[in-house]
Amino acid sequence: MGLVHQSTPNPMKWLSNLIWRRPANEPLLSREEDLPGYGRVRVSYVVDCLGAMCPRPQLLTMKILAEITEGEIIEVVSDNPAAVEAFPSLAETLLCRHLLTLREQDCWRLYLRKGLQA
Amino acid sequence: MDVNASTTKPAPGLKRPNMLYSIAIVLIVILGSVWALSIDNRFLYLLVYVWFGVIYGIFLQYGRFCMAAAVRDLFAVRVPRMAVGMMIAVGLYALVASVVTLAGFNTFHAHPLGWHVLIGGLIFGFGFVFTGGCASGSLYKAGEGNMNSMLVILAISFTQAIVVAESGWLNWMAPEAWVASAAAKDMPESLSVTEGWFDLFTAGYFWDMKGATLGEMLGAAESPWAMAFWNTFVNALLPVIVLLIALYAYYYRKSYLRKSGLANPSLKDEISGIWHMCISSKNTAIAGIFLGIFAGLHMWVTGVLREHYEIFNFGELLSAMGYTQGLSVQDTVFDPGYWYITTQEAQWGAWVLEKLGIDMMDNIFFGLDNGIPNPLLNAPGFMSIGIILGAAILANARREFKWKMPSLETATFAIVGGILMGIGARLAMGCNIGAFFATVTNGDPSGWIFLLGMVGGGYLGVKVFTKWMDWKMARDGGCDL
Repeated sequence: MGLVHQSTPNPMKWLSNLIWRRPANEPLLSREEDLPGYGRVRVSYVVDCLGAMCPRPQLLTMKILAEITEGEIIEVVSDNPAAVEAFPSLAETLLCRHLLTLREQDCWRLYLRKGLQA
Repeated sequence: MDVNASTTKPAPGLKRPNMLYSIAIVLIVILGSVWALSIDNRFLYLLVYVWFGVIYGIFLQYGRFCMAAAVRDLFAVRVPRMAVGMMIAVGLYALVASVVTLAGFNTFHAHPLGWHVLIGGLIFGFGFVFTGGCASGSLYKAGEGNMNSMLVILAISFTQAIVVAESGWLNWMAPEAWVASAAAKDMPESLSVTEGWFDLFTAGYFWDMKGATLGEMLGAAESPWAMAFWNTFVNALLPVIVLLIALYAYYYRKSYLRKSGLANPSLKDEISGIWHMCISSKNTAIAGIFLGIFAGLHMWVTGVLREHYEIFNFGELLSAMGYTQGLSVQDTVFDPGYWYITTQEAQWGAWVLEKLGIDMMDNIFFGLDNGIPNPLLNAPGFMSIGIILGAAILANARREFKWKMPSLETATFAIVGGILMGIGARLAMGCNIGAFFATVTNGDPSGWIFLLGMVGGGYLGVKVFTKWMDWKMARDGGCDL
């Protein structure tokens, strides 16, 4: 866990975010993940939505879901409570399965699997 | 399918919630209330706004309840979650409002219906796609530590103040008929009603129309039960049922039937599908129920207090307590008696501008009607602060409070979107709460027209927003969040 953001908290991050574009995280991180209740699964994509206001997290996720194949799992990282609340419903609309939402210190990690298979 | 918060699990080693902060905020509200009452127990009237604001904030945060999402998500991601929550809230508010009306304590006044409602809704709806929240949503998000939403509130506040008080440079846009009609109103010289576009709009156009509830339009004012039928059932509950069915048919049915493996659904299956849609996000549905109930109770409590103090407006109480600064020429202040957001924000903006030396009282909006009270005496203003505090209480208790600073792009969107929301709110004489939520639930059909405008604006906003995102991603190979 924690492959996306491992840096120590920087209190002036907002200023650097304001002046410089936030460094884009490498989204293609095909890796294995231990998901409670699901065992080891392969996560094919990480959608990093930290700091994003609605509807960006949802729109970015839709774009990524359109690019992957059935059965693949993506991880969405968000610190926006409203977006996190919206994702299970979004998964239903997109005919995906919302596997799990994992609560971390400063964000949530949501796991979505494309397709409706059990 | 797992669709609710029960699927959320804490990661190992997670810290405890910031209950201390929550308790501190609750204590501040309690101590502030006791302090106000110790100065004068008539401040109870103002405190009712504070307490209901706190309750609204708690439930808005609980359900992540944002009416911008209700409209926007239908077009942006085809998700009806928030629209369903909003309809639940409308239904409950309408039912409680009906009881309050029958009990004789309703404080609601119907809005005149004209092109301004549709255009205002359109501009407001276009704006809130870019701000990431509606008027009430921005307040609760500010309570979660979101500085972007704070910027939106500032933009809405100052834009409205400028639109109503400093719109003289737009006089050329006012038709001759407005000028003549405004001049004929025989208003006090100090208001200079023939100068300033918004004054001409108000006195020359808005005042020439009459607002009425559906029951009043149909001549049912004599019979309370007939009024309840037209205002509550026909104007609110029936549209809610129709819209819920439409949301199900267009946004939920296909995925529900596919997920349930139903090839030939019976009527029972369809009703079950609608029920599933309503409870698909339990937090939002619960928030909708309680927001609806409390919004109705708010009118009741204020109505009872008005009778108790024998007043029509808080300005009378302020005068009696010796606070005469910032009252309008009629000795009134803004005091709707129910949930409202934008007018008190306009007063905040105007209060600051006046402190900077700009005359903000030479107009109808502030000078004749709403006044510009000191923010410490602004009762509805405290309702908005209450929303921020209520959201902060729950967000801290749930470990969801986080200071978030905007990027240059989101800050620009917040300011531009907030300016549009401010213009839209003033044209329509209210926002998603004052011009929609509080109106449709009290029998005023103008709220549905405002919703129509918001939907149109939201649709256009989503088109522009997605184009922007596509362009940005194509240019940068990523999106600057």
